[in-house]
Amino acid sequence: MARFFRRRKFCRFTAEGVQEIDYKDLDTLKGYVTETGKIVPSRITGTKARYQRQLATAIKRARFIALLPYTDGHK
Amino acid sequence: MRHYEIVFLVHPNQSEQVPAMIERYTGVITGADGQIHRLEDWGRRHLAYPINNAHKAHYVLMNVECSQEALDELENLFRYNDAVLRSMVIRRKEAITEVSPIKAAEAREERKPRRDEKPAAEAKQEAPAEAKSEEASAE
Repeated sequence: MARFFRRRKFCRFTAEGVQEIDYKDLDTLKGYVTETGKIVPSRITGTKARYQRQLATAIKRARFIALLPYTDGHK
Repeated sequence: MRHYEIVFLVHPNQSEQVPAMIERYTGVITGADGQIHRLEDWGRRHLAYPINNAHKAHYVLMNVECSQEALDELENLFRYNDAVLRSMVIRRKEAITEVSPIKAAEAREERKPRRDEKPAAEAKQEAPAEAKSEEASAE
């Protein structure tokens, strides 16, 4: 009975044929972190494993140079 | 010779020193037969979180090709310079010369600051929308 139509997940990086995810590309990265600053799991975003690994390193690099927050609790 | 990508953050109070610092660092690299492939000054940016009680920092990005000794010296200079809040060095496979997304966004913002904010806000909303479809392969 509760059959909702859900949009099919897809991997944006596969679709676009991205070579390498850049840690400086904040607009892209921001789509893959939650409001609290966590990395969104690929089971939710549908990112392919290869790109999820790249994404994780990219986000961690961006965090290190303070382009992205580690958490929303920074004061 | 290897390719490296270097980002360093300078304390906003020492912002005026940045051109001199860039000159010094490029001198170290070219002095050791290295090459600079890309050099970008992102200017003063807001930090995502405060570092040493500084809320802003001056960012500089460099893509270089240099020897291990030159890089060691550079890292040493970063470490003993109090003005450098943070630095990151990444090994790259080849020389990267195109404009980075941050610099590109900056240039876009300067041209039309109003229209630029919209797409960024929309991109942000995309993540929660995708999160809603959680656990749904649907087929």
